[in-house]
Amino acid sequence: MTAVIEVRDLTKRYKDTLALDAVSFDVEKDTIYGFLGRNGAGKTTAMSILTAQNFATSGSVRVFGEHPYENARVLSRICFVRESQKYPDDATARHALAAARLFFPHWDQDLAERLVDEFQLPMRTRIKKLSRGQLSAVGVIIGLASRAEITFFDEPYLGLDAVARQIFYDRLLADYAEHPRTILLSSHLIDEVANLVERVLVIDRGRIIMDETTEDALQKATNLVGDAAAIDAFLRGREVIHRESLGRVSSVTFVGGLTAAERGEASAAGLELAPVSLQQLIVRSTQHSTHAPASEKEEVAS
Amino acid sequence: MSAVASSPQRHNRILNVVRLQFINKVTYIWMPLLVLGASWVISILIFAMIPLDGPKYGGGAQAPLWAFMAVGIQAMTMSFPFSQAMSLTRREFYLGTLAAASVTGVMLSTVFVVIGLIEKATDGFGVNGYFAYLPAVWASGWWAAWITYFVITMFLFVIGFWSATIFKRWGTLAVTLVLTGLGLILVGVVFLITRLEAWPATWTWLVETGPLGLALWAVPAIALMALGSYVTLRRAVA
Amino acid sequence: MIEEGKPLFVQIAERIEDSIVDGSLPERDQAPSTNELAAFYRINPATAAKGVAMLVDKSVLEKRRGIGMFVSDGARELLLRERRDAFADRYITPLIDEARRIGLSPTDLAALVREHGSTPQASPDTGRQS
Repeated sequence: MTAVIEVRDLTKRYKDTLALDAVSFDVEKDTIYGFLGRNGAGKTTAMSILTAQNFATSGSVRVFGEHPYENARVLSRICFVRESQKYPDDATARHALAAARLFFPHWDQDLAERLVDEFQLPMRTRIKKLSRGQLSAVGVIIGLASRAEITFFDEPYLGLDAVARQIFYDRLLADYAEHPRTILLSSHLIDEVANLVERVLVIDRGRIIMDETTEDALQKATNLVGDAAAIDAFLRGREVIHRESLGRVSSVTFVGGLTAAERGEASAAGLELAPVSLQQLIVRSTQHSTHAPASEKEEVAS
Repeated sequence: MSAVASSPQRHNRILNVVRLQFINKVTYIWMPLLVLGASWVISILIFAMIPLDGPKYGGGAQAPLWAFMAVGIQAMTMSFPFSQAMSLTRREFYLGTLAAASVTGVMLSTVFVVIGLIEKATDGFGVNGYFAYLPAVWASGWWAAWITYFVITMFLFVIGFWSATIFKRWGTLAVTLVLTGLGLILVGVVFLITRLEAWPATWTWLVETGPLGLALWAVPAIALMALGSYVTLRRAVA
Repeated sequence: MIEEGKPLFVQIAERIEDSIVDGSLPERDQAPSTNELAAFYRINPATAAKGVAMLVDKSVLEKRRGIGMFVSDGARELLLRERRDAFADRYITPLIDEARRIGLSPTDLAALVREHGSTPQASPDTGRQS
């Protein structure tokens, strides 16, 4: 697979903080990525630098093989939808979409109009008067209808209610299926996007801690549900990521997998396999890295 | 799926930035015209009320210019972030925005000259009041008046734009320092002239240069600020 | 809707297999396209494609160039055979374990099976509920 974005040793330092710490990764063509991590982890900084809206302290960025800075050849093929986007004063959604039509070579006006209907976006109201959800809808519509070869969505759906978010995910998938392109989706609503993204890039405190397919990431952990005592006995010595209990029944997520034999044992003990939550897996991974490894890893006492 | 590579398409994008600025016709067309028009009407009314026989001159024509300086500021604070969202380069945004400002400059100057010609023909609308047809400005003809007005329009736009690029790049403190600094230089010049008792000479020079001459002196200042804006903008973050 | 610890693409493949086994997707019929699957299950098309690819590898589905994916001849038999082979591991062992948990021996279990097996089928639909 070809890499459309290549990042090597990217570092961004603000006065006393290291927002990005020698980050390296590739983004493959026509793949949907989940760019995940906590607030302030460095996601927005990274995306801003990739789109030449912000500048690296050191390291290299190549988009379509070139540096994106002041490079219309590259920039015209990408679209960055930010979380809180400023629009010209007194601009309406109509103005914003008319503008997008001018600059995105693959802009689909029909798609834009359909989306405006679906999101019930008032076209002639001034953007500064729109609700938070409607404001997000403007960004989302621009991002989708631009059909840019690389599209970045930086949590643009904050403010969208659950129904609107589902519309976004559905339209995104449908359009991606018809017109494959590279999409980077940053979100802290990890479970909502887990089925949409082919690969996950998890960034924590300026470092990439996960860069693999969603499938591989999910295989890293297993979830057992059943009698708490039985589970504890079964999981002796394993690293537990997450535990939920209701009475004597526990749902425990732990690092690693089960062999066929072990699955049999689990079944015999009355334990069931349940889906692993990508969100829990990532949340726990990112929490772990803020503390010294020994103290935070919850190991099941023998 | 062609890549936007060649020069002609690049020029197209800059032209599109001009169109971008005119998508919402208020900012670069209606507002300046409205301010000019309103100022004009108000001036006439005031002239009509003043019980003098001789010609009356008002400074209302400068109103749209100051409003346009605000447009220059907003171009950086509001248009620039949006241009980034449109995946435009800073260069494309810069050139397109200056071009759009020039269009407004042309429009305003033309309207100004037309008003002046009307005033000249109607003897100040019958009230002997002159809003645009100010003798010093028209001394060398209507084209001089046009150039003078155009240059001042651009001058004020670029001041606004330039200050805003400094603000975007370095923040409030920086802008304050720069503007204060310029103010101090101005005060310093005035002080110097006073010390050298050179006021009469200065006045003579000013009168001899006239509005057109002063406007032409402003051109290098505009160029410098425009260049400074570009250099600052290149590393500004929206 | 998505369950168990199996990779998503495997689950998608199994659902297609289920519909072949229960007859709702007959042999030689066109299988749902990758995009249709992706939209229906709200998953990434690449995942759906992987599930379909797995079925092609197993010869359950075949690709007809220019038209799409079709259920292969003999796919149902193949799947039935596969499921019968796995039946013991998949159902019998857990059944015995559960029975043991509630105090039923394999002999008790056999009796129950005979008893319930002889009553008329409540419904022919043995597919999993979504």
